[in-house]
Amino acid sequence: MWLPIRIDEQRPEPLYHQIEVQLRGLILGGQLKEGTLLPSIRELAVSLKCSAITVRRVYQDLESEGLIRTRQGTGTFVAGVEAVARDEHRLERAAEELEKAVDASLQLHCTLEEIETVFRQVLSKKTESRGGDPLDVDR
Amino acid sequence: MSTAKETDAAISLRGVRLENDRFVLGPISCDIPKGMVTAIVGPNGSGKSTLFRALLGLEPIPSGEAEVLGTSLVGARDDGYKSRIGFLAENPHAHENQSTADEKAIFASHWYPGWDWERYRKLMRHFDVDGGIRLAKMSKGMRRKAELAISMAHDPELLMLDEPSSGLDPFAWKTMLEELRRYMEPGDRTLVLATHIIEEIKRLADYILFIYRGKILGLYEKDRLLDDWRTIVVQSDYAPKGGSELLQRVPGFQGCEEAGAGVYRLDVDDPEQGEAYCRENGFRVLAVQRMELEDILSCLIRKEEAKR
Repeated sequence: MWLPIRIDEQRPEPLYHQIEVQLRGLILGGQLKEGTLLPSIRELAVSLKCSAITVRRVYQDLESEGLIRTRQGTGTFVAGVEAVARDEHRLERAAEELEKAVDASLQLHCTLEEIETVFRQVLSKKTESRGGDPLDVDR
Repeated sequence: MSTAKETDAAISLRGVRLENDRFVLGPISCDIPKGMVTAIVGPNGSGKSTLFRALLGLEPIPSGEAEVLGTSLVGARDDGYKSRIGFLAENPHAHENQSTADEKAIFASHWYPGWDWERYRKLMRHFDVDGGIRLAKMSKGMRRKAELAISMAHDPELLMLDEPSSGLDPFAWKTMLEELRRYMEPGDRTLVLATHIIEEIKRLADYILFIYRGKILGLYEKDRLLDDWRTIVVQSDYAPKGGSELLQRVPGFQGCEEAGAGVYRLDVDDPEQGEAYCRENGFRVLAVQRMELEDILSCLIRKEEAKR
């Protein structure tokens, strides 16, 4: 099966890290459902142009986190993910994105107070455009 | 430089040196890991084909130790290991020109106890080759595919391919990639291929063995190599002179080139430390880029040349 994983050659993070973060995201984000058969190590290595050593390392890490399971002779499957873990992941991802925005603002020489003001403005704009409900956001 | 324990090596060489009228190979030492794909990469005439011939027992090894699939190649030996190897030579053998692919397969089937006609037919079908045609009548690519099918039909423990994709069109090339991936799937097979095709190395290789003028420049885990080797582009406003000497001492230094007034392209294999060092010494870091395999190879060759 094909996985929507993209390697960005210009990123400083090592290949295994890029693959691991994205695959973990696909599982915790619910795009890969419990029981889905993952590609074999060699298959994924060929399609991502990385070595089998790298993929094996990713699978081992995710297996020890309980996100995937390997059954001898049949392959590697997505394990069941608890709702708690999925929620945690959601908040972690949101925090990462916000951090990027804060970094970008700091590079523009904004003070923390300015950033906070802007952030509140953005939030209230969202609330208004959604008819008072900030949660009703298109995904 | 060695990356695997001796017991995990399909091929293990220690100080191997051999010489014929045209060429000196070695001394070379390396362990080619079992269950993995190793690409042998180097300029033409580096000794790749001589190395293959030595591993097949076709060139005597007068000094050093060499072991293939657990069999020592030095002194009296049991030739049984050869039937567990599949080999595709760089050039076709002229004496086989008048045989059809199927006739060559019949000959090979007597030689290899593990020969499997079903596998042979499947490979030929997948490669879209008619086995009834004489090898000399086939196009270059067609013959390549037939010979590849024959070299793989006994499901060898070790498959050695010398420039396997030469003459293949892009579609045949994809089919070959697929078959080689399938061959590696069980996890206990070892593939060693000499190739110049960067895309092939990227898709298939786990390890890269760089070879040059009969010597090994290094055996690297591919992804680690691509992760570690980076070009840092730096600029210095106040130290354009003498900047180059300062940069020679950067951690993980592999090479340096002036790319304009006060701008240097610095090749390192420890990018984090390298970048920090540049900043500490008053250089502005303009960019940090991954290196292409061919640039890494040229860098290794330049270093080797500097030693000569």
